[in-house]
Amino acid sequence: MVLLQPDPFLSELTSLYEKNLESGSVWVTMKRSCLKTKNKREQMEKEGQKIEYKCLVRATDGKKIISTLIAAKDQLKFQASYATVLRAHMDALKKRERKDRKKATEPAKKPDAPKKRVPVKKPGSTKV
Amino acid sequence: MVYIESWDEFVERSVQLFRADPHSTRYVTKYRHCDGKLVLKVTDNRECLKFKTDQAQDAKKMEKLNNIFFTLMSRGPDAIY
Repeated sequence: MVLLQPDPFLSELTSLYEKNLESGSVWVTMKRSCLKTKNKREQMEKEGQKIEYKCLVRATDGKKIISTLIAAKDQLKFQASYATVLRAHMDALKKRERKDRKKATEPAKKPDAPKKRVPVKKPGSTKV
Repeated sequence: MVYIESWDEFVERSVQLFRADPHSTRYVTKYRHCDGKLVLKVTDNRECLKFKTDQAQDAKKMEKLNNIFFTLMSRGPDAIY
């Protein structure tokens, strides 16, 4: 389990997606964490200490595991970069087909009518 | 495993689940490029909600959900997104 800073984590996440194009899955887990055990947390709450929570993000391809912690101040920046990485790699999903099919059939009917048939003059043929 | 058909229902129930138990609720995404499939799971180790798709339009919706969870998890369950 490799704990990284947000930016190296995103680079490693990109390489995970790229490695698993032909086969395999990429799992990304998000969870709220303060990185303290339950007992320690309860003890801190009793003492009135403020517990700082972060968002723990883990990613794996079944073999390699990487993780990072996101504090509230890094949240917006990480969120934007993470969305960019996802959009760049999740392109195997199907585009909306139904709407395209409907659009394709309607204009296909119209061009059939105005098509001009150029009469081909063949020597010996009476019909034009 | 409970697969939810409606996206809006999935979002509403997952946020409720998180707010009820922010310590043990986690959000998992699994993406398979070779099959073109995306599966989302939200669980608190007692109840499990899942959503699966192969549509590109759901990837956009998932991005919004990612943002919601990022906000809730780093700022707190009472955060307004």
